[in-house]
Amino acid sequence: MERDDGVILKVDDLHVSFDVQGGQIDAVKGVSFEVKNGSVLALVGESGSGKSVITQAILRILPTNGRIVSGKILFCDPKGDGKAIDVADMSSRDPYLYKMRGGRISMVFQEPMTALSPLHTIGNQVEEALTLHHKKTPKEAKADTEEVLKLVGFPDPGRAYEMYSFELSGGLRQRAVIAMALICNPAMVIADEPTTALDVTVQAQILGLMKELQRKFNMAILLITHDLGVVANMADEVVVIYHGEVMESGSVEDIFNNSQHPYLKALLSAIPHFEMAPGERLVSLREMGNGENTVKKLGGQFAAADTKKKIDGPHLEVKNLRKEFTIRKGSWFGSSSANTIVAVNDVSLVVKQGECLGLVGESGSGKTTVAKLIIRALEATSGEVKFNSNNGMQNVLELEKEELMEFRRTVQMIFQDPFSSLNPRMTVQNILREPLQIHKVGIGDEQRDKVVELMKLVGLDPRFLNRYPHSFSGGQRQRIGIARALALHPEMLICDEPVSALDVSVQAQILNLLNDLRGELGLTSLFISHNLAVVNYVADRIAVMCRGRIVEIANREQLFERPVHPYTKSLLASVPYPDLDKLLDFEEVMKSKAHDAKSWGGAFSESGESSLMHIEVGTDHFVLANENCDKTELSA
Amino acid sequence: MLAYIFKRVLYMLPTLILTSILVFALIELPPGDYLETYVNELLAAGETVDPRQIEYLREEYAFDRPAWERYINWASGMLVGDFGYSFEYQLPVRDVIGDRLFFTIVVTFATIIFTWLIAFPIGIYSATHQYSWTDYGLTFFGLLGLAIPNFLLALVMMYLANEWFGTSIGGLMDPEFIGQPLSWAKFVSVLEHLWIPVIVIGTSGTAGMIRRVRANLLDELRRPYVTTARAKGMGEFRGLMKYPFRMSLNFFIADIGGILPQVISGAELVAIVLSLETTGPLLIAALQSQDMYLAGSFLMMLGFLTVIGVLISDILLAMLDPRIRLQGGISR
Repeated sequence: MERDDGVILKVDDLHVSFDVQGGQIDAVKGVSFEVKNGSVLALVGESGSGKSVITQAILRILPTNGRIVSGKILFCDPKGDGKAIDVADMSSRDPYLYKMRGGRISMVFQEPMTALSPLHTIGNQVEEALTLHHKKTPKEAKADTEEVLKLVGFPDPGRAYEMYSFELSGGLRQRAVIAMALICNPAMVIADEPTTALDVTVQAQILGLMKELQRKFNMAILLITHDLGVVANMADEVVVIYHGEVMESGSVEDIFNNSQHPYLKALLSAIPHFEMAPGERLVSLREMGNGENTVKKLGGQFAAADTKKKIDGPHLEVKNLRKEFTIRKGSWFGSSSANTIVAVNDVSLVVKQGECLGLVGESGSGKTTVAKLIIRALEATSGEVKFNSNNGMQNVLELEKEELMEFRRTVQMIFQDPFSSLNPRMTVQNILREPLQIHKVGIGDEQRDKVVELMKLVGLDPRFLNRYPHSFSGGQRQRIGIARALALHPEMLICDEPVSALDVSVQAQILNLLNDLRGELGLTSLFISHNLAVVNYVADRIAVMCRGRIVEIANREQLFERPVHPYTKSLLASVPYPDLDKLLDFEEVMKSKAHDAKSWGGAFSESGESSLMHIEVGTDHFVLANENCDKTELSA
Repeated sequence: MLAYIFKRVLYMLPTLILTSILVFALIELPPGDYLETYVNELLAAGETVDPRQIEYLREEYAFDRPAWERYINWASGMLVGDFGYSFEYQLPVRDVIGDRLFFTIVVTFATIIFTWLIAFPIGIYSATHQYSWTDYGLTFFGLLGLAIPNFLLALVMMYLANEWFGTSIGGLMDPEFIGQPLSWAKFVSVLEHLWIPVIVIGTSGTAGMIRRVRANLLDELRRPYVTTARAKGMGEFRGLMKYPFRMSLNFFIADIGGILPQVISGAELVAIVLSLETTGPLLIAALQSQDMYLAGSFLMMLGFLTVIGVLISDILLAMLDPRIRLQGGISR
């Protein structure tokens, strides 16, 4: 390996192990790859595949119980003397390592909130990366820091310098982390899932920024991700990792157009995408417990247990729903100002029986609040929620005592985080029985039989009933959550981001399970997600939320083919496709200010006395627009 | 920030008023008063009591007045530094407490500083070397310190000091200095005696503190920003001090409010065993004989110290942690 061959980092037959109680785990088993100067190499794999461990090994920041067993990590600094240095072979206290970390190879992390210390200002933390490696006077250091903050897109670097991480939005935080990685002008940046925690429009902007800076400074980037869409848009070369071993590697064109290895093929077909034919199923990487057929068989029995009558008209109707939160600032007496935030603003929607309505929006758009208002976990400020149960249309917001109890039985919720939504001190048996006990459904053995039936229905072995949640994987826990929601034979399911905490392969399992159950049991559902592709896979109709309002609502095909609202358009334009023919237009993305209502144009913003209302632009296709606007403007 | 401190100080007032009412009520609670105890004592000793004298005293000390009147007298007196009159000592409370309060503060602060000096390095070492033999060893000694009652340790140390050095380590200074004005020789003598009570009183607090420093630091060490600092190329020790250690300080600053009364009350039994010239033994005697103004003033001072401690910790927290400062609506 010489300076001239353009290879900046060469990992050769790397083995990394972790000492754990009662043995050791081989996390990385003979991985080799090369990163060329000024190019982007993507390391792709699911969680637990060992991809993050490789980056920790390169920087020699493995946790204390991890060690490099064998192999070489050769780093050839383009600005060095041309000799390759074996990082793996160094003592962990070698002074070169401290110079290399942050100085020559720097890192961008997944969680920008926790990667920054909340006690130190942004300026302090970014500047520190500089002063650790270069002697600067405080004045020079501050000037350099502000310059790099400006470079990564802080509109007012002087102000940002004094701010704390919790005062910034997720996107700005990640920009600060990128600034910290760039300030020493490193030869290589390791980006570990840099956009996974971000919203889709912000993700597109951060990816654009990274690409732009990479070209500008001719850096190498080692990009760790599980998202093949991101890979297609960023990488020059790709290495696919599974269980600590390289499955396949090659140029990005080879990988996407001519994938060889079954694992990669499977991974590609496990991701929901926009060109799926109606009724096409995702192929999950590992079929678990049961497939479609089991649900069909058991679902039939399960559904037969309750006789549901056909309902004409809407099953759930939400009208002009509004929720305000009052935030009190200041404390104790005096000078406390009440600040009202409208989380949900004039939301109206209708869900028919058996239909799945997708609710899409970015974090903070109010979609979860809508769900909580519907199930009466929060009290609405104003508006109506009507639900058609066996005894006709009921006004949910006015239900009391027994009626409310009965309503709670008919509408159940599946939560986002399968780790914190199950009580760790209860066995699965108790978790699944609890709703039956609360609603006094059956006694003793009947309840136990029901629980066994539920376990089978969601594809889990009933022998696991006496275990505690911690002994299950994320996907299995989410199945338990689904079983719990089904225990009371609900008529409607509200799924709040049910797959966003899960891996791609597991995500496919859960989505398939939900789809099968919905079909077999005739469930009405409201499916909340920030992931457009996921919503596209499960929903019949889709509502797009932004800043507490529904800006567009339409049938699935219509919304994806003919989006009208600028926000919907920019949302769709920001999704990275795992397809080299449909790359993101970074220039366009970087310019867009999707969240800023002012950039939406006259037809979509309030002006003077005219207010916004939902205007029909097609069959069942409504758009939030100015009541006085020119209707032809909307038919874009 | 200034406005915050001002508000915070205002907030102390109702707390202190409530505390004084509570203290007064508690001391009034047992049946009888100091005079009755006094009369009973005299009778028990076989002496005669002149009822007229008792009546005179009762009037003189305002025992015949309703409780609220006496409370107002006492409370308003405290505002101008008049803490009332000790019946037992026939002296104003201020003169009785005087020196003792000073020595209590000396012993308390020496103990707190001793606790920190020992607990922080050990806690940090234990956390960064988790599950090593040194961690287990230090933890063992810490738990031992926690388990041994203070007064027992005091007795053992007195015995050992007598056996090995042939000296008595009781008291806070050599007997010839008691009642003498402060001089260099007296100061040295105090220092010579101080370390015993400090160690005795400090051990259990130190042990608890080690455990808490360790636990809090362990939590912080797993946070991603620690990795960020390492990936920046920061040295291990500097990285430890600047990020996780500073984060883990919050708990212990929040603790300051509780430390003062805890140390003081924990020290009282020890003070009796070691016959220290602090306020502890005085308070206990005063409570026994229903010497109410003396006891009440003591308790009030403890309450005042607690409130001050909480104030200090709140201000320090706001200064140290921008999240509290900014999200609590306190301006920069």
